[in-house]
Amino acid sequence: MLDATEQAPSSSKAKKAPTPIVPVDENHPFDLETYIASYEGRVVVDRLVHIITLAPSIAPQALQLAVRHIQTLRDPTLYPVAVAAYDQAASLSPGQLPSASEVATINQKWVDETSAKNQSERMKLEVELKTYTNNMIKESIRMAHRDLGEFYRSVGEYGTALRHFTKSREFCTTNQHILEMCLSVLELLIEQRNYSHVPTYIFKAEAALDQAAAGGENPKGAVGTKSKATAEREKYQTKLDFALALSQLGQGMYEKAAHTFLKLGLPGKLGDWSGKLVASGDIAVYGTLCALASMSRSAIKSRVLENETFSVYIEQEPYVRDIVDAYMSNRFKAVLDLLEKYSTRHYLDLYLSSHVHDLTNLIRNRAIVLYFQPFSSIKLERMSSVFGWTVEEVERQVVALIQSGDIQARVDSQHKILKAKQVDPRAQLYAKALKAGSEMQSANRKLLLRMRLQQADLIVKQPKNQKQDSAAMASASQMSDYIQIGD
Amino acid sequence: MNDPLPTPPLNTASAGPSTPPPADNSQNATVSSDASLSLDGLLMQITSINDPEALDKTLRTFAPKEVRETILGSLLPDGADPLQVLDVRRNTLGILYLLSARLQVNAAGAPPQHVIETFCREFDQAQARVAPERVTMLARGIIQLGQQVGDVKLAVKPLHDLLVRFPPSLSYLTPLHGLFVTACVASRQFAVAEPVLSTPITQINTAFFPDLTYLDNLVYHYAGGTVYAALKQWEEAEDFFEIVVGAPALVPSAVQLEAGKKLILVQLIKDGKSNNLPKYANGSLQRQLKNSPYYGLTRHYPQQQAKLEQLVEKERETFEKDQNMGLVLQALDHAPRWAIKKLTGTYLTLSVSEIGKTVNMAGKDEAVQRLILSMIEKEEIDATLSMDGIVTFNEDHSALPMKRMLSKTEVDNALKEAQQQAAILRQLEREIGKSREYLLKAAKVKDNDWSGPGGPDEELLFDVTPSATWADDA
Repeated sequence: MLDATEQAPSSSKAKKAPTPIVPVDENHPFDLETYIASYEGRVVVDRLVHIITLAPSIAPQALQLAVRHIQTLRDPTLYPVAVAAYDQAASLSPGQLPSASEVATINQKWVDETSAKNQSERMKLEVELKTYTNNMIKESIRMAHRDLGEFYRSVGEYGTALRHFTKSREFCTTNQHILEMCLSVLELLIEQRNYSHVPTYIFKAEAALDQAAAGGENPKGAVGTKSKATAEREKYQTKLDFALALSQLGQGMYEKAAHTFLKLGLPGKLGDWSGKLVASGDIAVYGTLCALASMSRSAIKSRVLENETFSVYIEQEPYVRDIVDAYMSNRFKAVLDLLEKYSTRHYLDLYLSSHVHDLTNLIRNRAIVLYFQPFSSIKLERMSSVFGWTVEEVERQVVALIQSGDIQARVDSQHKILKAKQVDPRAQLYAKALKAGSEMQSANRKLLLRMRLQQADLIVKQPKNQKQDSAAMASASQMSDYIQIGD
Repeated sequence: MNDPLPTPPLNTASAGPSTPPPADNSQNATVSSDASLSLDGLLMQITSINDPEALDKTLRTFAPKEVRETILGSLLPDGADPLQVLDVRRNTLGILYLLSARLQVNAAGAPPQHVIETFCREFDQAQARVAPERVTMLARGIIQLGQQVGDVKLAVKPLHDLLVRFPPSLSYLTPLHGLFVTACVASRQFAVAEPVLSTPITQINTAFFPDLTYLDNLVYHYAGGTVYAALKQWEEAEDFFEIVVGAPALVPSAVQLEAGKKLILVQLIKDGKSNNLPKYANGSLQRQLKNSPYYGLTRHYPQQQAKLEQLVEKERETFEKDQNMGLVLQALDHAPRWAIKKLTGTYLTLSVSEIGKTVNMAGKDEAVQRLILSMIEKEEIDATLSMDGIVTFNEDHSALPMKRMLSKTEVDNALKEAQQQAAILRQLEREIGKSREYLLKAAKVKDNDWSGPGGPDEELLFDVTPSATWADDA
């Protein structure tokens, strides 16, 4: 438990220097009730804790929800976590929030009961595992490990859960089992936001799938098995793709993430993961933001707008379509306004939170680049009205983009005009070729000399020549002496 | 009276021919049984033996090692200078021996300057090439003489003649190269060295010049780089220092480290940033450079001048100890220029005061204006400055020279050069392909059936190998 919820907010803090305090008001609408209703299980509490830390204005409400929800789970340690997050938020804005005890009361009786129940359940499962191990029944051992893994996961001991899941692998006899194990581990890793290990288990799962497909061709298998295998594959593919996409997003590989998100199957294919891990609306947001931040306009058109499967996701969050439409019709001010309006929604998302800042910047930069593309010169004033910034702000942004090489243009700071560079491709090509030629020649010359030196064995060697070297040094420094006087 | 110096000559004569005063020579000649042991006899042989190889052998071995140089460096019994007797062109080898010995043995009177100059100007190349190490010795002696007289400049002219005439062509590396350029640097005659430096070294032949060492290469290119840096021809200087830094080395030499430091500074002045060392440069050399304050300079160059100045102030001692302060200050002077040049890529017009702000010269508009004017004059930037202090940068400056480049002859020239290069490489390829070492190695590899990365396979044996193979070997 502690690794999961305690660590995540702190790591997101490390990424963006100041912890953003996310406002919730008319300009930044956010309906906690509807938002949280699309999730179920433990992730609800995780998300609520995340919200408590970021949005103090709705923290009391979130804490109440969290406390209520915790009782439907079986992990009493979630209580102190939620309260601690709340206390921290309260200490950041002193005097504005009522104390935790006023907002929600902890049902101590439930805590005691659940703890006792957990304890006995654990005993029972461990005893089971021990018996099966003694009896050496492979399948039963696997199931015992799996059950223990599930159990530890539900009480928040992720480390132990992971250990049991991975251990169950030794006792897997069919590809189906391996697949199950991989998916459980993936769920666990995603909950922990431990993205770097995700691809490993995806590969393992895919290998198992492949083997299942290949297994269908052995003599025993009938004709039907093969199509069954592909159906099997389809069933899991979306889950695996989602895990991959999320890990790519988590590691900041937005372009890859965009591609992976956009090729997900229908929401139904996610099975129990939808709700348990993610809401389909979230996928719409992730996919769209990543696409806007990294893909070309034509790619967005074909991959996002004309993508029937993905539009099913987008329907869950209609504002996403507005953003894409505004982007495609060059209404960049609307894009930026919408992004700002829903920034609360984005910041409060567990997985997206630490990337909102980068993604917004990327989208903005792309918008500027796109906007300027058709012009050979444009007044900064006009750009400022389109993007809704001051002229100085526009100039600052544009200069940054020019210096990073994203815009091929120059700023007339006197008349506040942005002017595209006129390049003569022919001249450029010649210049490039000639430069490459002369560079190659000088490199060749140096390398050949070096080779000849080596052939003649004129190689700098250590001890024998030390004296000689220092003598040469003396003359060398004497030489530079003259230069210095000269200048 | 009890001074030991004026000991009667008889004593020394009986003790052995170790003292060089010319008065002793007549006695020496009588004492020694072999006539060739005297300078007189030697002169006879020099004039009579026509085969340079044989003469070389005689001169090399005519007397025991300890006394040989002394005899060679002495005068004739009647006090006449043996050099006057011989003819420069006909007896080149003899004079070479006598002259180099005379310069080496300090006690012998130094030969007059004009004798040295005449010899260097007129010696017979074929004869001199028989004894290359004597030529090196002569060159060293000439420099020594210059230092004794206190005027190294005197050495430059004869060394130049020697260097130009002695090797088959200037593209052969000789020990003379380093000596000559060093003498040029020491006497600040940078321009004299330039024609020699402009011929790139492509040949290294230890058969012609058996006394060649790796230091000759390092010192020549280091000194050459220094000459170019002094002439402010940064591009050539960079090339030369890069050759030094990239010279094959098991352990980095101190000269290489110094060259690396200068290389960084030259690159800062030339490009406004420092490039990585060549890939083949010695690893520990790169590390040492990374830890030096010079590398620190490159991190802040050219934008953060305040930091640069701080760093220079802090490391002043190091820079001064390395005698690089002159270059460091030049690099520092160039920093605002590079900062302004960067602005040309971003801005079309900018007021002088704004430029001042971005290059950390806020408030010093006049200085900024002067700087910009000088940059425009030197064609470093293509811009105009209006009366009200607005600078207008014209189209990308780097595009300008291209427009001139487009003439047909220039393109043809470039093509021709490229073809030449290709021909050289192909020739080299063939040579390597048929060389004994390569064939042996290839055959061995084939036998062992061992295919390492990039190891030559059968196809490579008969075909022209891709350039990657020898790059690997190097």
